[in-house]
Amino acid sequence: MTKLDVDERWDLIDKISKKTVTFGEYKHTLKDAIGELTVKPLTGIPIAIAVLYGFWSFFSSFAGFFTDGFFVKLFDEHWLLWLQEIFPGKESWLYYIFVGDPSATNCFEAFGVLTSGFFVAIGVVLPAIVAFYLILTLLEDSGYLPRLAVLIDTILHRIGLHGYAIVPTILSLGCNVPAVAATRVLETRKERFIMMTILAIFIPCGAQLGIMKEVIPDTMGFVIFYLFMGYLIFGFILNKIIPGKTPEMLIDVPPYQMPTAQNVGRKLWMRTSSFFKVALPFVLLGCVIVNVLYLTGFIAWMGDILSPLFIGWFGVPSETAGPLIAAFLRKDLAVAQLSAIEMTRYQMISAVVLVSIYFPCVATFAMMLREGWKELLGSIAVLAMVVTLYGGLLHLIWILLGVA
Amino acid sequence: MKILLMGHPNVGKSVLFNRLTGANVIESNYPGTTIDYTKGYMRVGGEEVEVIDVPGTFSLDPKDKAEEVAVKMLHESRDATVICVIDASKIERGLYLVLEIVEEGYSVAIALNMWDVAEDKNIKIDVVNLERILGVPVVSTTAISGEGIKELVSRSRGTAPVEVDDIFERVED
Repeated sequence: MTKLDVDERWDLIDKISKKTVTFGEYKHTLKDAIGELTVKPLTGIPIAIAVLYGFWSFFSSFAGFFTDGFFVKLFDEHWLLWLQEIFPGKESWLYYIFVGDPSATNCFEAFGVLTSGFFVAIGVVLPAIVAFYLILTLLEDSGYLPRLAVLIDTILHRIGLHGYAIVPTILSLGCNVPAVAATRVLETRKERFIMMTILAIFIPCGAQLGIMKEVIPDTMGFVIFYLFMGYLIFGFILNKIIPGKTPEMLIDVPPYQMPTAQNVGRKLWMRTSSFFKVALPFVLLGCVIVNVLYLTGFIAWMGDILSPLFIGWFGVPSETAGPLIAAFLRKDLAVAQLSAIEMTRYQMISAVVLVSIYFPCVATFAMMLREGWKELLGSIAVLAMVVTLYGGLLHLIWILLGVA
Repeated sequence: MKILLMGHPNVGKSVLFNRLTGANVIESNYPGTTIDYTKGYMRVGGEEVEVIDVPGTFSLDPKDKAEEVAVKMLHESRDATVICVIDASKIERGLYLVLEIVEEGYSVAIALNMWDVAEDKNIKIDVVNLERILGVPVVSTTAISGEGIKELVSRSRGTAPVEVDDIFERVED
């Protein structure tokens, strides 16, 4: 077998292409024109803002339409009442676990497996996930994402990444699990570590976004803002302290393509169904575990122990211990639980930010472990630091603003 | 029989894979969608053929984890037939990977994919001559619409390893 060196190979290719390829005159097409408009900063940045804003508007109105207009009524006025009527033994622990609080008038407060569990998964998260993946798929198939990567390259270099890191970041807004896998397209260990860590900590997934929009619509903007700031601040710090390089981004920007209905439909179906295969069991299991922990008094006990930290350092009520335990399994569930706890608007912002940044959910954790245990341990160390620092910092901001 | 689909990122390997096997792997219009390999099966003339969708790679000298998966997959499948998927509008750099794989002694067939894009760009490729020079089957395809897929399958069955020295000789003819 003859092996060629790089130059010999290119020489051979040159000869072959001279004999077989002819390049005709190239006409500038509409696709090229659109391509240029979306990449040049002057026009590209406004377009990017418009695209992302449109993404968000569609997400919230689509999800809101189905959740508020349909599922809330279905679950609160029919499903909950029906369960409360037919489920035997209002005082029993079984009732508590499966239906929850017998006096509840809506599915958020009841917190039973069959009431809140199903409502969160199907009524709130399903519409959010479908809306998110529909838009994501259109962005993916059209070829817009790599252009966004080009635009955002300079900013991401500040946090030790390059523009292409926007792809895992956006995927992560749907679900952190495929996003962790997508970090494989980044070249160095440093980049992969930074990306994996800050996305597991700071990027809320579609389920979380959906539930936040439902239970804390007024404060959600602040939560997102603090998460986004955390992403940049801690990315910047990690970039300074982690050894290694961030190479320049070298990507092919593909031609724009019209997404086909068939592929969009198929991807939407695949992603939604695989999301539910992972999510639904965890949501239901999470409800069971948290209810059992409440029944056995474990959560009250944990709340007592952690109260100096919670009340003194983070400035949130000690009852938030319960949601933090649920957050191990599912963050959407934890946010739903938080909404039932009495607290001020600012405590709510802190609590939701804490639940979001504190520990990745079980599925993400497993995925990170698959990518390397050293990285995982490193991420956990960063995480512990971030939660303590950032939680305290938020509290400090509230104190300075005079609202804590 | 085992077929590996290899080529640069975002040339349509996953689209081709879904077409061949009826599987559902995620396909998108940006490089780096496939980050792990997927196996699937197709039936060709009564025989069950294993098809593997491999992450895109520019060369056999991996630059990231996804490319490492691709190169490892190739080296673990010594007996496989490799269908090299090339973006027909960027044929030269696609051929680089083809040559690397040919040099390692694999049986190769070439799918000149995104043929429609090449036509849009007014690029003309003499497929017959290319096939003569390389000594391996070359088929123009548009995986998204399914053009050329049948021919690609039937032609890739009979392919055999070729020597680079022979390619050098034939290119001078």
